[in-house]
Amino acid sequence: MLRTHSLTKRFGAHVAVDAVDIEVRDGTLHAIIGPNGAGKTTLFNLLSGEQQPSGGTIEFRGHDVTRLDVTARSHSGIGRSYQRTNIFPKLTVFENVRLAAQSRTRESFALWASASASRALAERTERALGEFGLLAHAQRAAHELAGGDQRLLELAITVATDPALLLLDEPSQGLSPEDAHRLIDRIGALASRFTIVLIEHNMPLVMGLAGEITVMNFGRVIAHGTPEEIRADANVRAAYLGTRG
Amino acid sequence: MRRFAVLVVVVALAPFVVRYPTLETQILTFGLLAVAFNVLLGEMGFLSFGQATFNGVGAYAAARVLIDLHAPLLLALGAGIAAGALVAAAIGALAITGRGVYGVMLTFAFNEMAYYLAFQWRDVTGGDNGLRGIPRPDVFGISLDDATRYYLFTATVVLVAFAFVLRLIDSPFGAVLRAIRENEDRARAIGFRVRRFKIVAFAISGGLSGLAGALYAGLFRFVPLQSIDLDTSTNIVVATLLGGTGSPYGPLLGAAVFTILSNSLSHVWSHWPLLFGVVFCIVVLFFRGGLWSISGLWNRRATHA
Repeated sequence: MLRTHSLTKRFGAHVAVDAVDIEVRDGTLHAIIGPNGAGKTTLFNLLSGEQQPSGGTIEFRGHDVTRLDVTARSHSGIGRSYQRTNIFPKLTVFENVRLAAQSRTRESFALWASASASRALAERTERALGEFGLLAHAQRAAHELAGGDQRLLELAITVATDPALLLLDEPSQGLSPEDAHRLIDRIGALASRFTIVLIEHNMPLVMGLAGEITVMNFGRVIAHGTPEEIRADANVRAAYLGTRG
Repeated sequence: MRRFAVLVVVVALAPFVVRYPTLETQILTFGLLAVAFNVLLGEMGFLSFGQATFNGVGAYAAARVLIDLHAPLLLALGAGIAAGALVAAAIGALAITGRGVYGVMLTFAFNEMAYYLAFQWRDVTGGDNGLRGIPRPDVFGISLDDATRYYLFTATVVLVAFAFVLRLIDSPFGAVLRAIRENEDRARAIGFRVRRFKIVAFAISGGLSGLAGALYAGLFRFVPLQSIDLDTSTNIVVATLLGGTGSPYGPLLGAAVFTILSNSLSHVWSHWPLLFGVVFCIVVLFFRGGLWSISGLWNRRATHA
């Protein structure tokens, strides 16, 4: 589904992403782990089109998408959630998700239509909200939600754009253990419908969910394999697991 | 819907209750300017400090069409809308490339340029003497040669424009504008061509401002150079903030209060802006939602009682 060829991002002398080749196969949940500053989020920025690479290419569903901007990437089927909650704070939860669903329609330049009257949009919105257990909060302003619910809303927005590939950037960031558990359940359910690339620090979560793991350090891929293989890998132990216990 | 019905009744009865149709027409045209401005500020979150540009361009365009072509009045209004929309789309396309305060300064700078252009181009605009001798033709055989009749004509047009803005805000397009206001980067990331939406919003705001200018030109049969100056742009910002940006009713209310105060106080005391400044500061500091939010609080209390 997604393949990069020596994807590179330099910031001056610093190489944040260094000749990365990864392949994400259809239907897998592919985790990317590594210490802070390993270049994981920068890699996501390149994949989602938020930043342009300094070198290398990105192939998505057989097409070279390297030069597409973030909006075009979204329409090509790459959906992304963010490490720092990135929602529309003063709009209602419902409106947050409806906007995402609306972005897939041709209705957005309809000036004389009523957004709230569109049955099709409302149904898609309700389905996404229901999936993340947010229906009860639909009419509240997004910024009034508790942190855990905001993280779920973040995911609901991304899912409502109907992507083929989900890039999830530390979805459990800042969550209580209970909320993290709720989230793991959600991601497990999503994995049956979407191909997912997941950046995560929560090791039990990663080891439990991922089919494949890529380990990064200093911008490079230092290991790749199944959870068992990664657990046994000496490089990884030294670079990552060893330092974190 | 009920609020709009109340507005229609108030606007329809106003000149028969308080017999100042000319002042009341001015309230409506200035109100439309504030409502148009607030499409950008309140909905999209862009502070356009050069709204008088679109007002002036619309007024001159309508006036030229009336003088040179003896065109029907509705066609002249159309010319005002088209001119305002085109100029706003062009200025908007350039202004939105500047982020934050730089975009604001660009609208300001273009307003200044438009003003000097109007000042210099005497053949078209009359320069600082203003553009005189604008005819006010009949509409559908009905003479508008009477202040109250012209008020009713203006009221009809402004209410239609206001209804359009209400629909716009409720539309999918309006939702995208709010998404841009709240989080432009995420709007882009979920697949909206933000730049396109902004330019269309500018065109709409400019078109409505041009319409207001055209109605004003018809009111006084005269376009003063002030219709395109920075003072007018400032007044639009002030009236809108006074009324509140959270709903199109806010700018309308703000424009009414502003116009009434400036007309009544300026006769009593030439330094009236000083007093107005105090009122403005109080509203902006203590009632962030403007006068309309105060009326909202009162409404809520009234319904709870």
